[in-house]
Amino acid sequence: MSNSHLFLPSGFIRTPLQNGLGRYIPQLQRITLKFCKSHGGSRGVRDFIESDLMEFAKTNPGTVVYLKPRRHRSPCMVAEYLNGEREYLSCHEFSRDEVYKWLSYMCTRSGIPVMRFRKYQHTDYPTIQGVWNPFTHQAPEINVAEFPHEVLSKPNDQGPTATEQLIEIFKKTQMEDPANKPPN
Amino acid sequence: MRNGRVGTSLSGAVNVISKRNFKAHWVAPTLRELQRRKVIEEDRNGGPKIFHRSTFLEWNYDAEIFAFSNRLGEKFNDSSLRAALTHKSYIERETARLSDIGVESNLQFHDNEALAKKGGEIMSKFINGYLRAVFTQVPEELIRAMHDFLTSNATLETVAKHIGLGDLMLCADFPCKTETYVKSFKAVVAALAESSGEERARIFVQDLVVTQLYGQDVNELWNPVDPVGNLTAILKREGKAEPEFRLIRQAGSNSILAVYYVGVYSDKNFISEGAGESLEVAKEMAAREALKKLFHTEDSMRALPFGRQLKNIQSRIAQLENQPNVPLSEWISQKVMSAVH
Repeated sequence: MSNSHLFLPSGFIRTPLQNGLGRYIPQLQRITLKFCKSHGGSRGVRDFIESDLMEFAKTNPGTVVYLKPRRHRSPCMVAEYLNGEREYLSCHEFSRDEVYKWLSYMCTRSGIPVMRFRKYQHTDYPTIQGVWNPFTHQAPEINVAEFPHEVLSKPNDQGPTATEQLIEIFKKTQMEDPANKPPN
Repeated sequence: MRNGRVGTSLSGAVNVISKRNFKAHWVAPTLRELQRRKVIEEDRNGGPKIFHRSTFLEWNYDAEIFAFSNRLGEKFNDSSLRAALTHKSYIERETARLSDIGVESNLQFHDNEALAKKGGEIMSKFINGYLRAVFTQVPEELIRAMHDFLTSNATLETVAKHIGLGDLMLCADFPCKTETYVKSFKAVVAALAESSGEERARIFVQDLVVTQLYGQDVNELWNPVDPVGNLTAILKREGKAEPEFRLIRQAGSNSILAVYYVGVYSDKNFISEGAGESLEVAKEMAAREALKKLFHTEDSMRALPFGRQLKNIQSRIAQLENQPNVPLSEWISQKVMSAVH
């Protein structure tokens, strides 16, 4: 399946400011929960605020939580990240668990926009031994060789031919006979 | 002024996790016209209007400061941190504003001038300590170049922006200038040293500033002007034979894509080889490779240690903060061998 028809931008994995290399800094800077105190669509958000919000704030002390009760408006959450990006999510008619789920999703994001990852790994040092070039592993003798050369003109992975192997075997048998003769 | 205009496109663009929006078809022309007028207005004024985060209704400076220190995992003295984030321009502006109204200004503000200066000094010290402990074989000129890169305004501004200082600083200029960011960051480092001690401040600088060296090619930051001359001088000082340059490989010498490989030999021992589009370039590259090998800064050098990997060499780093490396004019291998950790 090609990706050319997707409007989703694509890119490589990256992280702001080499996060995690030295220490991990949670990238969610602040989150604003806007909800209505009476309307039914905000019920999930209200339930979340009453029950789970304190625990969330305690486990994420690096994130500021703002609550904005606003009459006659549907609930939403706006997450602001350290690199300046903002994420808006409408929480209309969410359940309490859904609010918690989306809030923890916002915590795991850095502000880098959602994109299709081209590869799941990235390195700044793609080669250690050096990229191959045609001169790698070439015998230095080619510099002063006159071509055609006895050894270098042949393919370098060619072993002895069948004829040569037979000649070798014969020579070995010839050499063994004088050794087996009892010394005179 | 807590608002301004920005010429670039860093407006408060909000990414929406979108749901299906239904708007009737006759709404479109109105929206289109409003957008057109907005674009004209912004072009005339030099960019969309931006507001400082503190002008929003949902803003609590105390909570933001609390979150700032927790985000970094550090403990700050409240007074030190607030002083580190307050700029002289802000204090001047506030006192002028109050005296305009006619109110006696008994403001107990401390500015961050002294803290910024101290922070800059200790940050330089920590960076030099790390570089000398990790790059033991390297001449002092390269250490200085890496240090200058890490303490440059561009690098420090990036770091300051990405830890959230932009909204916390109390300053008169908005959008904040580079110098303001850099000053605040240095002052924060000094405030941390005051509050939690020098070891924590050292780890902080290592985790946030020195990690910006990752992914940088250190040889692009500095390399000696005359590599052939420097190599000859070093080998002479070590008592080895003069470097001999020999052509090892060549291809396409009549074409634009000619490549020559030149090898450096000292007393018939191979040191390094370099490639170039002409013989002179190849010779220089070979000398550069030889120097890289001597200084242990080849492309295949060891990865830089960060975070937990520094636990064992922190004392060494502290020790080397005041001991510069050997300068290039006196560099020989024997001098730096003893310093390998």
